[in-house]
Amino acid sequence: MATCRAGRTCVLQYDRSALNQTLPSSLRGGGYHVERIALSLSLKPAGKNIMNMKAIVLTEFGGPQALRLSEATIAAPAPGEVLLRHTAIGVNFHDCYVRSGLYRTLELPGIPGIEGVGVIEAVGAGVTGLRVGERVGWVSGRYGGYASHRIVREAEAIRLPENVADADMAATLMKALTACVLVTRAHAVQPGQTVLVHAAAGGVGQLLSAWCRHLGATVIGTVGNRDKAEVARAAGAHHTILYREENFVDRVKDLTAGAGVAAAFDPVGKDTFLGSMECLDFQGTLVNYGQASGPVEPFTPSVLATRSLSVVRPIVFHYVRNAQQLADLSARVFDAFKQGIIRPIVPIQLPLADAASAHEILEQQRSPGGVVLVP
Amino acid sequence: MKTSVVRIHRHGGPEVLQYEDIALAPPAAGEVQIAQSAIGLNFADVYQREGEHGPHDSQALPITLGGQGAGKVVAVGPGVTSFQSGDSVAYICPGAYAAQRNVPAERLIKLPSTVSEEVAAAMLLRGLTAEYLLRRLYNVKAGDNVLVHAAAGGMGLILSQWAHSLGARVIGTVGSDAKVAIAKEHGCADVIVYTREDFAMRTMELTGGVGADVIFDGVGKSAFLKSLDCIRPMGMVISYGTASGNVGAFDLQLLHRKSIIVTRPTLRTWIARREDYEAAARTLFNALDASQVRADINRRYALKDIRLAHEELQGRGTVGAAILVP
Repeated sequence: MATCRAGRTCVLQYDRSALNQTLPSSLRGGGYHVERIALSLSLKPAGKNIMNMKAIVLTEFGGPQALRLSEATIAAPAPGEVLLRHTAIGVNFHDCYVRSGLYRTLELPGIPGIEGVGVIEAVGAGVTGLRVGERVGWVSGRYGGYASHRIVREAEAIRLPENVADADMAATLMKALTACVLVTRAHAVQPGQTVLVHAAAGGVGQLLSAWCRHLGATVIGTVGNRDKAEVARAAGAHHTILYREENFVDRVKDLTAGAGVAAAFDPVGKDTFLGSMECLDFQGTLVNYGQASGPVEPFTPSVLATRSLSVVRPIVFHYVRNAQQLADLSARVFDAFKQGIIRPIVPIQLPLADAASAHEILEQQRSPGGVVLVP
Repeated sequence: MKTSVVRIHRHGGPEVLQYEDIALAPPAAGEVQIAQSAIGLNFADVYQREGEHGPHDSQALPITLGGQGAGKVVAVGPGVTSFQSGDSVAYICPGAYAAQRNVPAERLIKLPSTVSEEVAAAMLLRGLTAEYLLRRLYNVKAGDNVLVHAAAGGMGLILSQWAHSLGARVIGTVGSDAKVAIAKEHGCADVIVYTREDFAMRTMELTGGVGADVIFDGVGKSAFLKSLDCIRPMGMVISYGTASGNVGAFDLQLLHRKSIIVTRPTLRTWIARREDYEAAARTLFNALDASQVRADINRRYALKDIRLAHEELQGRGTVGAAILVP
């Protein structure tokens, strides 16, 4: 059997029957615009240029228990690539949707995870900008994060500021890039605007609150309880709404003298989608970036017509499709750290083997700072 | 005094259009009275006649139809200081099918000497719609790939010309081979006959597999979902009309695939503020003056011949703008 070519991430111990399944050659389901992870199977033991690693290999969609630690192999970096030893792996809601099967963007069996931080252990031919021993981070729709090691393309690698710890960086990188895309691209926040930030005490929510406030917007945040209201206010929210006790649409109308907000940033999905739309001022934009409460019900564009509204459903990967775009966006994020506009998130740290617990914590909204996995 | 108007007392076909005389009061506070020289004809008038009010509120009968007109100011009401008798003006305001009428001063635009009342009456509504669509909601830039649905239709011809003059590469869709030439004459670099070609596939081919930067969709039902297949990542699909019917419910995840932004705007909100309305009109008049957009007025009807005007408009055999002359 040919050993793994493109992705060089190979499952070593794996149910032989699964090997007979034909891996689909293109993305299934939603057909997201992300490159498919190049993952193939090999029973070939570790040998020359192939080493063992630990990885969470998803073999079927399901609950957190579907995340189990396995032995896997990884090959030496090909030209233009480096081998990264992870020191911290970010856990995102995206991973929960991949695990549950809502997003069919990871071919099974596959290793989830869209961001990591680590140290370069080997560099492939033709890599000019990176050296062994260097510390870098990455975000990618090609997955492979929940593993002790990952092959990273040179164009994918992000040089990190020195004064942020690996775990904090792994907890923050994807979320901060997301926040940056949301407030500068999905809806360019302008001074004087009022914006609604749902889950304002969450990882992205705190970053959004801080960033929107810095941009001169008035920030209204929704939160689940009083403790989280404190967190959201500390992050930058001017007003908080306890969505379990108050009707957030009515409260937003009150707080904006009936006008509504210029933009609503909504990772909640199903439960808030139409309400968020109701909160918008004329020509307002609903920026949906997740569905923590479930997928949004199908809707007709004519609901947008009464106030000339827009809906956008962004994902960071489309905004960083080449090295230059990635460098520009990450520079903007690191500059925001430096200026104190946003602060890195301090996460809960769990061993890689406890990925299931990490997902439970995320899904039960138990950690404002999020979770990282440490191999 | 009395004035001639066209009203409907019930919804229906062209036969419900009544040419009749009604009383006209002097202009109230904040109003201006205009003797109209030209009234623009729009397909929206047909919808209103039939009782389809789209995204707008329904009105009580009888209704004086028409949405845009132009003429000379003949009287101003109390408190109006920015207009005086003799001014050449145009407006967007319901109730345009009339020889003489009152219009709130805040809805009036003073015409520069370069723009005739006839052109303004024919172009203001569609021209200002095009202005906000391709200069503000989406700012068309040189090199953009712009897809215009129904490119040989009233809006399509204006959008195609204007986008082309801004340096965009315009791809138009049309319903028949007979309309290809007219779309090309109005700025389309490529024209797709959607009745025999898959417009999404063709657009992807024509854009090197990337997709259009922006799609102007006045068609709705039969074009919207397929438009999501040929927009580029992070592109904008603008559903500004629903000539083929309302778009059904669709899954938000269709936008997630490419971080697409979808919007369903109306002109009303984009010219609600006086300064926006004036600035938009200036932009349109400059575009007309620079021949970036041409007013192809090729049909003129007497106001009393309104039934014929509607019949011919609905026949869709015509191209370009039509006006009514009181």
